[in-house]
Amino acid sequence: MSRQDFVPPVERVDNSDVDPLGTFDEGAGPKFRLNFEPEERDLLIRLLGEMKDLLNSEENEATAPLLHRLFPPAFRDDPEKEAEYQRLMREELVMSRVVSVELVTAMLTADPDTGRLADLSEPDTMAFMQSLNAVRLVLGTMLDITDDDSAEQADMDDSHEFQLYGYLGWLLEWTVQSLSETV
Amino acid sequence: MGERCGQNGDVPTTLEPVRVEEPDVDEALANDKPWVVIVWNDPINLMSYVTYVLKSLFGYSDEKATALMLDVHHKGKAAVAHGNREEAEMHVFRLHEHSLWASMEHDV
Repeated sequence: MSRQDFVPPVERVDNSDVDPLGTFDEGAGPKFRLNFEPEERDLLIRLLGEMKDLLNSEENEATAPLLHRLFPPAFRDDPEKEAEYQRLMREELVMSRVVSVELVTAMLTADPDTGRLADLSEPDTMAFMQSLNAVRLVLGTMLDITDDDSAEQADMDDSHEFQLYGYLGWLLEWTVQSLSETV
Repeated sequence: MGERCGQNGDVPTTLEPVRVEEPDVDEALANDKPWVVIVWNDPINLMSYVTYVLKSLFGYSDEKATALMLDVHHKGKAAVAHGNREEAEMHVFRLHEHSLWASMEHDV
């Protein structure tokens, strides 16, 4: 593909070719297309796999800051209520994240016949956005992006990890933009 | 309570009725107080993402969600919703699902 034919990584696609009478079908509603190269899908699937491992991992020195960011306190000044919140909600939040990661991994797996990805519904695209954001959040935390200064620094750093962080941000921005057209 | 103790002879059973029948007074009062849901600034979440999440979770207009996002960004935090404890916890949970840095506290 030449540079002139830029195709956005995520785009809202015209739904009119689905079924003119399909207003009440599950096919109704806006559709979104992920225009990913196979390497991009593989990369994202690998990152999502690492995210799933992290969600299922025990807290240790390496994972503690990451898990803290994925599961922040609900009650900052009340340890008792916070313990209760964690006891009641933590597992549910882990499950919600795992389910989303698995759903998105399936979305990124190409149809074996066509070699293409299926178009996504709006809720599916939101799940994609959510998991993509979580992956980026973990990477950003690993890269020690803790304030606006380090965030600016990250923009200028061209090491592999920061490039990946930048790529995920770019992808997320496109995803949010295409979803925003429908809200 | 006393009757049950008597019926059960030497087995002390007061613990169970006490836990069930005596409400936690502080808790009961606290439940009536409105809670406020706060989103805190963080340097990783994109501004457009935060705006979109506020729109889709709370049904806010573009203007309102953008104003709240800018408050988070510039002032360090913003109150994005109010409610009783249960409602506020659900809001916090959903914000956490979307990886926003959210917490809740008594509205004072």
